[in-house]
Amino acid sequence: MEKLFITKENLKVLIASLKKDCAEFIAPRYEHLDDIVLGDTKADGRELLNYEGNSVISPRAFLLPQTEELFEIKSAKNSEFIAVEDKKKRIFYGVRPCDIKALKLMEEFFIGGEFEDKPYKEKFRNSVFITLSCIKKCSPESFCFEMGSGPFAKEGFDLQLTPLNRGFLVEIGSKKGSQVIRKHKKLFSKAKPEDEKEVRTLSLNFTKGKKRINYKRLARIMRENKVQESIWDDIGQRCVVCSGCVTLCPTCSCFSIQDRLSGAQGSRFRYCDGCVYAGFTRMAGGSTPFPEHKDHIRRFFEHKLNIDTQRYGVSSCVGCGRCIQTCPGNISIRKFIEQAVDGS
Amino acid sequence: MAKTRNEYLPEKAVIERIIEESADTKTFTLRLVDKGKLSYKPGQFLMLSLPGYGEAPFTFASAPRKDGRFEISVRRVGSLTEALHKLKEKDVVGVRGPYGNWFALEKLKKKDILFIAGGCGIAPLRSLIQYVLKNKKNYGMVEVIYGCRAPKDIFYKDEVKAWGQSKNSAVHLTVDEPDAAWAGACGVVCVLLPKIKVNPKTTMVFLCGPSVMVKFAIRDIVKLGFKEQNIYASLERYMKCGIGKCGHCYVKGKYVCTDGPNFSYAEMKKLGIES
Repeated sequence: MEKLFITKENLKVLIASLKKDCAEFIAPRYEHLDDIVLGDTKADGRELLNYEGNSVISPRAFLLPQTEELFEIKSAKNSEFIAVEDKKKRIFYGVRPCDIKALKLMEEFFIGGEFEDKPYKEKFRNSVFITLSCIKKCSPESFCFEMGSGPFAKEGFDLQLTPLNRGFLVEIGSKKGSQVIRKHKKLFSKAKPEDEKEVRTLSLNFTKGKKRINYKRLARIMRENKVQESIWDDIGQRCVVCSGCVTLCPTCSCFSIQDRLSGAQGSRFRYCDGCVYAGFTRMAGGSTPFPEHKDHIRRFFEHKLNIDTQRYGVSSCVGCGRCIQTCPGNISIRKFIEQAVDGS
Repeated sequence: MAKTRNEYLPEKAVIERIIEESADTKTFTLRLVDKGKLSYKPGQFLMLSLPGYGEAPFTFASAPRKDGRFEISVRRVGSLTEALHKLKEKDVVGVRGPYGNWFALEKLKKKDILFIAGGCGIAPLRSLIQYVLKNKKNYGMVEVIYGCRAPKDIFYKDEVKAWGQSKNSAVHLTVDEPDAAWAGACGVVCVLLPKIKVNPKTTMVFLCGPSVMVKFAIRDIVKLGFKEQNIYASLERYMKCGIGKCGHCYVKGKYVCTDGPNFSYAEMKKLGIES
């Protein structure tokens, strides 16, 4: 598709206009000193048009929030419930390509398959995603190119911006994206050949010296149980079950459900849960099918690197590096991948 | 946006009847209040909701009926089941479902069937036992092995007796702790295996019970020549959603709630699980 161009000034005008058209404008902004955190900047205008690094928490936090009301309980005694809906239109700005790939996988998981997850679908379908591609590696821990999810998004975005010297290159990824362009035609111009040349240079700089991970081969190694047991032992010992990895992972989707009542009324909520917790599979009566801690991490890594690769054709580890950054025990999924592939 | 059903929203069901099966287990007969009926197949389960306590999965313990009534047997073992046991007839609960796969009914025609149940594992199997006994002419020999802690823990006492009295059927009972009146077998379910008459090569086996029982009973029947692909177990896992999303029941890429809860032993081996 033909590529477009927008100047920094016009991008500000576009954002101002988009803000009028949505309930929440979720964009990167500084919080707590230097942390970049996604948040609603509709009112305060604190969004960063361009930034280095990635947001601490992925956009998943807005689609599968830490705590979310599933429905109201009107009468606990009579089992009377009231459906709740979230029809808010959200525009996500500045989402990184790795997180866009993660959202594509989450879409398949929550909306594809036998049952649709209505709360997720509602929020996802009402959202617009504007990606900001990466001209620099966001952190030493990230390995998006290696996992095939960066520095540019290939699908899953509505618009993708690439920051250049004189402004931003614009790609359209969907109908929703074209609608935004059509409505704001005057703000865009055609991209020049030198813009595309600049992108090629950026891409070459980004990928220089990097090698793609053959995640299909990795999946096979895991499927055939060829990962040395000592690697799992080491990981099991290092993990202190802080659950930072499953909290920050853009493709983690596990949740639990709990009721909160005040008197006879209240709500049923779901909240994010994680497979690394010892009690995750514990049943009433106390028995658990996975008592050993290393097996919890094994299950976590196998799901991302083996099972999802079989199911979706791509690994659901997108290489964002968040779990590696946060781990106090220095567990690195990237190092694990290298060890697994090298040791097989 | 197309209208999507919110799977998490339960429907109202009224408790029509409560029967005490043992000191810690009750059987509840339920019926949907507003909508027609839950059409399910033996082996499937429902999510039962008790606002304030949450939800828990229970396998249907009765064969599908024309009048839409269905039963679940519930052991008092956690906070939700404790609260459920305090409810009375005419009280209302929430239900959603049916969920999960069902026993391979199509593979059963003309076959001999062996059921092996331990404790409250009889409940999920009862749905299929009732179903095949009702349509007995379509099936061969039906045998039930049922082991309990003590004689007072045997569920559906009269019904279990009747199962063994229909044509070409047998029931074998065993208990761990016999009382003075008990004249039957003692010990784990495996002690009854020498008594069975069905042909191992062609018989379909359905198991449900505590995980150690399932593990050892499968080992023993495999030794007797029963085929891996003819052995099915109804598995239990912690689950929150019942629709393959919450992740709790995940085992190596399979979700016990949507891919199960009934797995053949051949499938279980692939998943690396024994129960």
